[in-house]
Amino acid sequence: MLPCSWGLWRSAIHTLKTFSRASPSARGLCIPTRAVCDAETIFALSSGHGRCGVAVVRVSGPASSMVLRNMAGLTQALPPPRTALLRRITDPQSKELLDRGLVLWFKGPHSFTGEDSAEFHIHGGPAVITAVLQALGSLEGVRPAEAGEFTRRAFHAGKLGLTEVEGLGDLIHAETEAQRRQALRQMDGELGRLYQDWSYRLKRCLAHVEAFIDFSEDELIEDGVLNQVDSSVRQLETEIERHLKDERRGERLRTGVQVVIAGATNAGKSSLLNTLCQRPAAIVSPIAGTTRDIVETSLDIGGFPVLLSDTAGLRDSSDSVEREGVRRARQRVEQADLTLVVVDSTQLPPDPQLVAAFLQEHLSTVLPSPEAGMTAASDRVLLVLNKSDLVPEEQRERTEGELRERPGLPPACFLSCSTSTGLEDFLTVLQSRVKTLCGDPLSGAPSLTQARHRAHLQQSVQALNQYHQYRDQDLALAAEGVRLALTHLGRITGRVGAEEILDIIFRDFCIGK
Amino acid sequence: MLAQKLHLLRHNVLSFVSSRTGSDLTRRQYDVIVVGGGHAGTEAAAAAARLGAETLLITQKIMTIGALSCNPSLGGVGKGQLVREVDALDGLCGRAGDSAGVHFSILNRSKGPAVWGPRAQLDRERYRQFIQSELLSTPRLTVLEGSVDELLVSQPNPEEPGHHRVTGIRLVDGSHPILSSSVVLTTGTFLSGSLFMGQTTSPGGRMGDAQSCAGLSYTLKETLGLRVGRLRTGTPPRIVKESVDLSLAQLQAPDKQPTPFSFLNTHTRCKPEEQLPCYLTHTTPGVERVVRESVHLNCHIQQDAKGPRYCPSIESRVLRFPGRRHQVWLEPEGLTSDLLYPQGLSMTMPPELQLRLLREIPALHRAEIRTPGYGVQYDFVCPTQLTPSLQVKSTQGLFLAGQINGTTGYEEAAAQGLWAGVNAGRTALSLPPMALSRTQSYIGVLIDDLVGRGVTEPYRMFTSRAEFRTYLRPDNADLRLTPRGFEEVGCVTLRRYKKAVSVRDGLQEALMALQSVALSSTRWREKLGNISLSENKSTTLNRKQCWTFRIEIYTVYRPHCEKQSREMERIRSEESLSLPSDMDYLSLPVSLSQEVREILDRVRPNTLGAATRLPGMTPAGIIHLLNYVLRTGRSEDTHEFKLN
Repeated sequence: MLPCSWGLWRSAIHTLKTFSRASPSARGLCIPTRAVCDAETIFALSSGHGRCGVAVVRVSGPASSMVLRNMAGLTQALPPPRTALLRRITDPQSKELLDRGLVLWFKGPHSFTGEDSAEFHIHGGPAVITAVLQALGSLEGVRPAEAGEFTRRAFHAGKLGLTEVEGLGDLIHAETEAQRRQALRQMDGELGRLYQDWSYRLKRCLAHVEAFIDFSEDELIEDGVLNQVDSSVRQLETEIERHLKDERRGERLRTGVQVVIAGATNAGKSSLLNTLCQRPAAIVSPIAGTTRDIVETSLDIGGFPVLLSDTAGLRDSSDSVEREGVRRARQRVEQADLTLVVVDSTQLPPDPQLVAAFLQEHLSTVLPSPEAGMTAASDRVLLVLNKSDLVPEEQRERTEGELRERPGLPPACFLSCSTSTGLEDFLTVLQSRVKTLCGDPLSGAPSLTQARHRAHLQQSVQALNQYHQYRDQDLALAAEGVRLALTHLGRITGRVGAEEILDIIFRDFCIGK
Repeated sequence: MLAQKLHLLRHNVLSFVSSRTGSDLTRRQYDVIVVGGGHAGTEAAAAAARLGAETLLITQKIMTIGALSCNPSLGGVGKGQLVREVDALDGLCGRAGDSAGVHFSILNRSKGPAVWGPRAQLDRERYRQFIQSELLSTPRLTVLEGSVDELLVSQPNPEEPGHHRVTGIRLVDGSHPILSSSVVLTTGTFLSGSLFMGQTTSPGGRMGDAQSCAGLSYTLKETLGLRVGRLRTGTPPRIVKESVDLSLAQLQAPDKQPTPFSFLNTHTRCKPEEQLPCYLTHTTPGVERVVRESVHLNCHIQQDAKGPRYCPSIESRVLRFPGRRHQVWLEPEGLTSDLLYPQGLSMTMPPELQLRLLREIPALHRAEIRTPGYGVQYDFVCPTQLTPSLQVKSTQGLFLAGQINGTTGYEEAAAQGLWAGVNAGRTALSLPPMALSRTQSYIGVLIDDLVGRGVTEPYRMFTSRAEFRTYLRPDNADLRLTPRGFEEVGCVTLRRYKKAVSVRDGLQEALMALQSVALSSTRWREKLGNISLSENKSTTLNRKQCWTFRIEIYTVYRPHCEKQSREMERIRSEESLSLPSDMDYLSLPVSLSQEVREILDRVRPNTLGAATRLPGMTPAGIIHLLNYVLRTGRSEDTHEFKLN
């Protein structure tokens, strides 16, 4: 199961559960009395991605009024509820001007979520959106929303009926799937490796502190263990802090729908890339296996940002470089939002009745197995039958007729990259697909993801401070700091359970009482 | 050789037997029958009786009730928390520890009060005596010597989930059955137990005791169809104290002022100056040599059964971590005992080699062995087949506690025993079962881990298993558990309840007194300087010295506990939504994938919380399931024993 989906799932249950019974009141000594019912304040970009004039950022929770005051410079009274107000939107820390936009205030329970809420209508550029999201994330008690959390809070507040829960279940399913793809993408890269490495090191730190707490009285666990933890924690803090600073300065948004071109060798994948971006970005030659690494290019399709990748042709090869290219190609397909499977139409069976079965078979060799969440019928695949100019007109038409509305098969378009025949039709299909994907607010929301990462990393560093603060006074509280830091990091890299920590303890120490 | 009796069994307990065998034995119907007289069984029987159930405790030998089969100690880090909680719910082991302790120390004193580990070395004799006299004076509790041959089961009550219902037991001697509404099995290592020493294997659960439970094993496995696994453990040889050169070992003194386990006690039976020391020594390369040379003569360590990673035999320690010095603690067995217990030297090699091994350690170079060490392998029932009330899901009224559930340790056994006894009693008295939340107690963590995740090796408590460790402290176990234990569970006596309430109110009052004074930090510094809290002039605060101490701990941890409260609330709400155990997942009219249906059908999670932790469950599946349960009102709202 994927890391991100856990939190999602848990909070969903929490919401649904609390809906069914009132929160028990606090009583007794030593029992926290406050904060039990205090929901955290969340924010998210509520409008879709892609180029748009106005973006809407929504905030919900008890701190909403504080957020509005801090970011919209409203020192005095809040605006009347549900009334748009034009304000300068500033960073609450640096007071830097981020944008000018409309702000709205919704006093609970008269809001979508039933809680105090605020909306920022800002300009739609990625830089503005990112800056506003990061500013929100820097406020205390405010965090990026889990996927679907606004809906769940609405449900919690009784704004949705129980009958709508079925819809909520489906929503969560879709979001989990989108998150799965996104996480695969992130974990693949250098960033993913970096986070995994931190998580691993932090796990060891925690295991060693825990070993010291649970076993040092009876076992040979020397104080030196803690000194090592001290320096590891300090090192980690420095690295994460440096990373947070770097990211703010040199970050480049890699936004957009990930479209991957895949298929057998010499089907014309690179030609398709070149045709789509109208320049020779990839080398095209009649020699099979010309493309060996991923070739990427950014495109604008119907106003939506697209990251188009050309991949090596899929075939068994004895050439180790080419094999690596094939491996990367398969990996990229798995992470794609949309895959264009290119087929050389001269290879199609001449009998049109056999074409569907042939393509079905072909798709199964190109696409990852169905367990990975992608099926041939999925709306994330398009078939491109290239080199249509080399197929007799009559055969092409009969085949087209045969393939139209074929259940279990993605839409297929005949196209000739060399003559551009069929390009218009193909672009129309492609554009509608990209548009659908962009309407899904999760398919490509790197700025939101980054805001979430940043928030978790910042909290992780804060928690590590707690370790140092309590190291000499109270080791239980110090360990709590490391545990908390790991929990925050785990929100990015995956949850770490008590058993995993115990495994490290028993591997690293001889516990033998 | 295997028939050697443990020295600790020789005391006369005849009076005990006779006093309980009068009119009661003519009785053939009880509310609760507890099988086994170890740490789990005694707590279970006492708890059920406290609750008001007519209870029968059946044990093979009355004189071994309350025997410490292995180490002569109680408590420790994590385990001490369990002892405090058992005591807070009015169990026996805390007070027994205070009566039998001969060496008290708080472990982890330098590491923060949340992880302090109250621990004591015990006098075996005193411990046994205390437990026996305590059971003897418990109203509604009868003790019977005998071996249980068979568990009697019948058709289930159709209004409750389950395939069977327990109706009582039949003894080996073939006499007529003894009937009851519930049965608690605490058979320890006796379920298909085998003893190992060198190349010799013999059936049994403890050296010197009869083998048993063949009939019980059969009932559990064949009649009830329970899945069982196999685990192993071991115990070290006992060494004649006189033969040890203690000058070559390092003296470990107890705390100057013993801290009692029990919230009822202000001091321990053993006076501070009467306490006995422990000794620390280490293994040598010679020890490792003997182990290596004897591997082929050692059946136990060649077996597959899983042993604990944290209480391994000396054999597995040196084989897994070669070339190291390992610690060996020489612990007193009691005030009058002439034996020492070598903690860390559990071994199963042939006795002559055990002696050779011991003598490789300088302090033990002339050591004599009284009873050799041996290993035990035994069956345990996979605890995922239990509900959080420790009842077998398929069998109404049948409860399991202790090693039979795959745990190790006296404290873990006592904790489960108490809770199984509570629920066995409640079931017999037609009260709904109760679960303890993992957000409120180590006992809750223990049971939740067992029934939710199962075990792959003997389960021992560690503080790192408790996510809310800074709240689940040894100092506040009474406030966490005692009031509700009286008000809702019914397992706490009035005397203890009154005491806990007066402590709670007193602390509250003192805290309010403190909170009523608000000064800036500068002013505080001016006023207080270096004066510590205990010298405060407030009369409330000075009323009891230990209170200032408790207030200090409370105030240090309060902000952290508050931060965790949301997480605690979430876990509690998941735990409190129980899933009916008779749900037909395969044909449930909701959109669940076949795969998810099969997982749910196979595991049958007790609560929604447990369902979310199942590998393979999908978020959407959980939502659909929850929706169904809420809509149809199928959730059995568990009477969760929770404090909030």
